[in-house]
Amino acid sequence: MATHKFDVAVVGTGPGGYVAAIRCAQLGLSVATVEDDRPGGVCLNWGCIPTKALLRNAEVVTLLGRAAEFGIRLSGFEANYAEAVQRSRKVADRMAKGVEFLFRKNKITLFPGRGTLTAKNVVEVKGATAAETIEARALILATGSEPKSLPGVAIDEKTVISSNGAVRNERAPRSIAVIGAGAVGVEFADVFAAYGVQVTLVEALPRIVPVEDEEVSKELTRAFTRRGIALKTGVKVASVKPGGAGVVVDLEGEKLEVEQVLMAVGRAARIAGLGLEGLGVQLERGFVKVSPHMETSVKGLYAIGDMAGAPLLAHKAMAEGVVAAEAIAGKSPRPVDYGNVPSCTYCRPQIASIGVTEARARENGREVAVGKFPFTASGKAVALGETEGFVKVIADKATGELLGVHIVGAEATEIIHEFAVGRTLEATLEEIIHTIHAHPTLSEAALEATLAALGQAIHI
Amino acid sequence: MAVTKVVMPKLSEAMESGKIIKWLKKEGDRIQGGDILAEIETDKADVEMEAFGAGVLRKVLVPAGETAPIGSLIGVIADPADDISALLASAPAGGAGAGSVAQKTPLRAEPAPAPPAGAASAVAPPPRPAGATPSAAPVSVVRPAAAVSAPAPAAATGVAQGPQGGRVKASPLAKKIAAQAGVDLKLIQGTGPGGRIVRRDVEAAGVAVAPTAVAAAVTGSEFEDLPLSQIRAVIARRMPLSKAPVPHFYVTSEVAMDRAWELREQLNTLEGQPKISVNDLVIRACALALLQHPGVNASLQGDAIRVYHRAHIGIAVALDDGLITPVLRDCHAKPLAQIAVEARDLAERARNRKLRAQELSGATFSISNLGMFDVAEFSAIINPPEGAILAVGSVRRVPVVDDSGLGVGRRMAITISCDHRVMDGAMGARFLQDVKRLLEEPLRLLV
Repeated sequence: MATHKFDVAVVGTGPGGYVAAIRCAQLGLSVATVEDDRPGGVCLNWGCIPTKALLRNAEVVTLLGRAAEFGIRLSGFEANYAEAVQRSRKVADRMAKGVEFLFRKNKITLFPGRGTLTAKNVVEVKGATAAETIEARALILATGSEPKSLPGVAIDEKTVISSNGAVRNERAPRSIAVIGAGAVGVEFADVFAAYGVQVTLVEALPRIVPVEDEEVSKELTRAFTRRGIALKTGVKVASVKPGGAGVVVDLEGEKLEVEQVLMAVGRAARIAGLGLEGLGVQLERGFVKVSPHMETSVKGLYAIGDMAGAPLLAHKAMAEGVVAAEAIAGKSPRPVDYGNVPSCTYCRPQIASIGVTEARARENGREVAVGKFPFTASGKAVALGETEGFVKVIADKATGELLGVHIVGAEATEIIHEFAVGRTLEATLEEIIHTIHAHPTLSEAALEATLAALGQAIHI
Repeated sequence: MAVTKVVMPKLSEAMESGKIIKWLKKEGDRIQGGDILAEIETDKADVEMEAFGAGVLRKVLVPAGETAPIGSLIGVIADPADDISALLASAPAGGAGAGSVAQKTPLRAEPAPAPPAGAASAVAPPPRPAGATPSAAPVSVVRPAAAVSAPAPAAATGVAQGPQGGRVKASPLAKKIAAQAGVDLKLIQGTGPGGRIVRRDVEAAGVAVAPTAVAAAVTGSEFEDLPLSQIRAVIARRMPLSKAPVPHFYVTSEVAMDRAWELREQLNTLEGQPKISVNDLVIRACALALLQHPGVNASLQGDAIRVYHRAHIGIAVALDDGLITPVLRDCHAKPLAQIAVEARDLAERARNRKLRAQELSGATFSISNLGMFDVAEFSAIINPPEGAILAVGSVRRVPVVDDSGLGVGRRMAITISCDHRVMDGAMGARFLQDVKRLLEEPLRLLV
């Protein structure tokens, strides 16, 4: 068994791991990466990227269905779900190849196989054919997360599936119950509904997308209901059992008979078998506990991304990867600002938010100013035929500090960043309103909502 | 040799003009950087204005007793050989022409040969001289500032500055909070990228005006409307900013002061040693306890709690028309005698309005002592962004019961007001317990 020596070894090459590896290489360190799947992790291969491809398909299907609105007469069309999944695989494949290219470009060595720590600076990699040992000055763990289920509900990826099964299955079920109305749940509900699947979205909390602002939940509820997605909120799942057309979901009284169930109730850190127990790495609520520079309780051992705790977002993982790499290289990186991470959901209408909700801002005891601008009043949105949703800006009344922004609507996930930059620079309402926004754009709604917070909106 | 314009410094966001109490240098005097030029009356305190730039004080334009708007030319320092007539001619009353190196404050990181940063903050650079005319002939180095420092009524810009320019690098939010809290951005060291002042810096700088109010006596006619003194106006503006948003809770403890009293009397018989007050003992005890309880030496900074590793203690000093809280820095590292000397000096200068601007901000904890007014106990209002304040009552002789029966003991009540967002009751209580223990075993204050 060969032993290889590197400055840094990164276990896991998802968005956190590959960014950390590249940043380490940029800083002149020799880097080994360990991956038991394709480089790119869940995000590129089984998560963010393929689902965005599927959602784009859903969007195209929906647009084709609306063709008459645009004066285009179609004599019917066929949307093949299997081909949609195949397209998403091609997209994922291309992006994974991109990571492999970046590794070569940055002279990063990839060790395929499963990594286990045998000491705080030693990784043993069990590949398909051989085992290798990597010794490094510093280790970055970036093994990500995996779908959770409810107690007593086993995911078989056939009738009870997780997002892993949902992105792989080339056949759409006739009916599906999506359990959990967070980002993953609403995105798949959107895709399946567009392809004619009868979707029931089940959420234990009183509203869908429960972490978002209440008005955002309301808007999405309206949009989903219009599209025929059945919503069951504030209900507990008592059991999920085989029966009927496939599965019977018992909602404490009401029984749902569906062909498939998609469990989208959250994700857990993927740390089993990594060897953390033997090293005494401290955990906190199932996630690895880290310092602001991403170091675990064991010196020289870093953890980033989903395994290091909420929010479980690829872009947070990337930011943490940079911090860990720079810390290892002896720089003193600015820690990740967890209060300023945008959160994006790609269902239609899209949802994007940053900072606190209106309710939270008020709980915090701030006197707040709220400005809201609906896309129905935006020329660009009307021209696009995408008038669902709004931009909502919540600011501190006294200082104009941008406390939170919530966008629901077309391209919401692209519009949010002006507020992310604004918050990073500590801009206030005034700096936003003095920034000229091009006309006609959807981003004008951001300007108008900001004006509305100051009672100066022009177009409403 | 550069000509240095001496301008009325802006010492707080609220300040629009300042009054020259007196000039400590007269025309013809040689000036070195750091010399005290004059005393200026501001809304907060009387502040000594230091010279920045060397030469001869060639001209005094605003005599003592007169008021000048901030940024206006009040004097000129130059070499005897320099021709300053153009400058004087271009500077009509109350205005300073553009050009030349203006009197500025080396508070932010400056290249040599600036005086030590901590010693020079009394003078702030003029952010925008009123009526600046870009057409005025530059006398020496001209470096136009890229932007104005803070929102303010005056609009003119283009002020000439020395090395590094006079622009205050601060985020828009930091500027607004500073303006509302009356914090002068020029007195703050930024911790953002490239030394940019961001929100947390302003909040950490806080403001030096302290809690509680003074009851007004009413005699004769039914009432009388007294105009708010500047200091009272600041208190009026600041206190609701504390009491309303900061959830206070209070913990009171009684301290047996018999041994501390005895120790103090012994210390005060030592010849050649400074006199120690009860408050000095309390300051020392708090400083030691704060190191043990960093959670109390802390302040809420947006989404984080900033825990300070040094104990800078604000000491409330009553004035006739209000009160002020000068800051005694690094109390944890100072022996009792030094605390006694420095606290007395601070209090005296506070009463005489002779504090330097940097002595008015940066406290991590405060002490308000009303012991001299025969107060049994009271609660104080936290001085944001600090996380706690200790209210100290009188040392009173009271009947006490101990093992030997009924006797007379000296007791003092101390009450801590804590920001519940930063700490909990148990933390406050444990801190208080340590303060009490230190005072009840006062030899610990000496080791």
